[in-house]
Amino acid sequence: MKQYLYLFRGGDSGWTEQSPETMQQHMERWKAWMDGLASEGKLVGGQPLQKEGKVVAKSGKVITDGPFTEGKEVVGGYLIVNANDLEGAIELSKGCPIYEFDGTTEVRELIPM
Amino acid sequence: MHKKETSLVVDHFFRHEYGRVTAFLVRKFGADHLELVEDAVQESLYKAVKLWPFSGIPQNPSGWITRSAQNKLIDDLRRIQRFDKKAKIILSETEKEELPDDVRLQTELKDDLLRMMFACCRPEISEEYQIILVLKILCGFSNQEIALALFKSEDAVAKAYLRSKDKLKETGFLEQVPTGHELNNRLENLLRIIYLLFNEGYKASHGQLLVRKELCFEAIRLTSHVLDHTSLPSHHVNSLMALMHFQASRFESRISEEGVLLTLEEQDRGKWDRELIAKGMRHLDKAAEANVISEYYLQAGIAAIHCFAKDFESTSWKNILRLYDLLIKINPSKIIALNRVVALAKLNGPDVAFAELEELTDEKLETFYLFHAIRADLFNELKRLDEAKAAYLKAASLADNELETDYLNKKANNLP
Repeated sequence: MKQYLYLFRGGDSGWTEQSPETMQQHMERWKAWMDGLASEGKLVGGQPLQKEGKVVAKSGKVITDGPFTEGKEVVGGYLIVNANDLEGAIELSKGCPIYEFDGTTEVRELIPM
Repeated sequence: MHKKETSLVVDHFFRHEYGRVTAFLVRKFGADHLELVEDAVQESLYKAVKLWPFSGIPQNPSGWITRSAQNKLIDDLRRIQRFDKKAKIILSETEKEELPDDVRLQTELKDDLLRMMFACCRPEISEEYQIILVLKILCGFSNQEIALALFKSEDAVAKAYLRSKDKLKETGFLEQVPTGHELNNRLENLLRIIYLLFNEGYKASHGQLLVRKELCFEAIRLTSHVLDHTSLPSHHVNSLMALMHFQASRFESRISEEGVLLTLEEQDRGKWDRELIAKGMRHLDKAAEANVISEYYLQAGIAAIHCFAKDFESTSWKNILRLYDLLIKINPSKIIALNRVVALAKLNGPDVAFAELEELTDEKLETFYLFHAIRADLFNELKRLDEAKAAYLKAASLADNELETDYLNKKANNLP
């Protein structure tokens, strides 16, 4: 069993336009998906991230708001899951509700230490 | 980090929380900042979407949303206080104030929602705007949802909402719940708007959009909220509750699988929602305790007779007619008189009813599709088929609802 990192980008565009009802349904689908991962023992950990952040470069001589110009490039959270291989990890990620609002999942294998 | 619970938040929790928290924050921070409040509540729901799948749903989700919205609002006010004096004053008044404990908070949220209901339903505001305010602020509907439910364009809803918000601020809505004689008038208006909302949702339509049914249940939810406040007079409220429950019980059975409108006579009574009927009956019983005869009460009574008739043939038209007679005394409206004619026809035959209808006829009534539809049915029973056909076609041309137009045209075409 290997571990994979899901990096979630975007998926929250146009939230100000979404109705509370849509938001609740979206939240419940996320929760159901993650509960499913957890109950199958595939969920290792993860956390959502604040929207704002800084990118520090050249020992702090350059501090910018980030390389991202658009909301859809912002990493909104990460998750670590157990899967047999990359294909398995990709398969698992297909159930994620992030795609409902144009988000993406980057799937990366963690190098075991 | 990841927590799993057996239960999620209740259905429509976000939608309802939106109204409660908005009302609470507007009372606390002032109507001038309504837009900031709306943003803050929206933002806190957004945060919940991001966080709750990871953290699990908090012990007290309502308190969580309120707290997070208030924090956001205070941040925003801090940001603008340099330019906005009012923000500064409000901040200094509320800055150190903690949120009340959860039990107290729930009471405050409840009271504030009622206050906001009265504020949105002020007779000084046009009916159209009152309905939009109720749907936006109290029910947490988006412009898109309102547009779907009311058959309007999203753009029109957005514009109407902006204007109605101005109106709301103009009328000043930090007031207490009205008292005394004023209370009765305002409560009457509030219930009327709620019933209008219900009727908007109840209008039969192609596709039977879910959002329209939700409009009906929102009307019921708001009414039950009024009922929760035991200090308010409850006779009218219970009567309206009963009426809406009885009508809602037929929601699914009004339209056939082929999308054709079905009359009471044609509906499958097995599909009527017995649970809603039973609930309606409990409200009607409570309303009866007041020993008052009022319009909603009589209308609920008529609806109840239909609900409890085993089949169309065993409907007690005698009792229905009696209730219509009382209703007309309270409200001598032509529409009620028109509906009374239907009961009269069932009880005393089409001749008597037709004579009565001729008596009622005036220019205004002739612009109303239901008048021609009822007239057509009577012609039909009197075997005056040419006139029946013409009347069905006339009714079809006046109906504003496609399902009704289809139904009436079909009636006309079935005649020789």
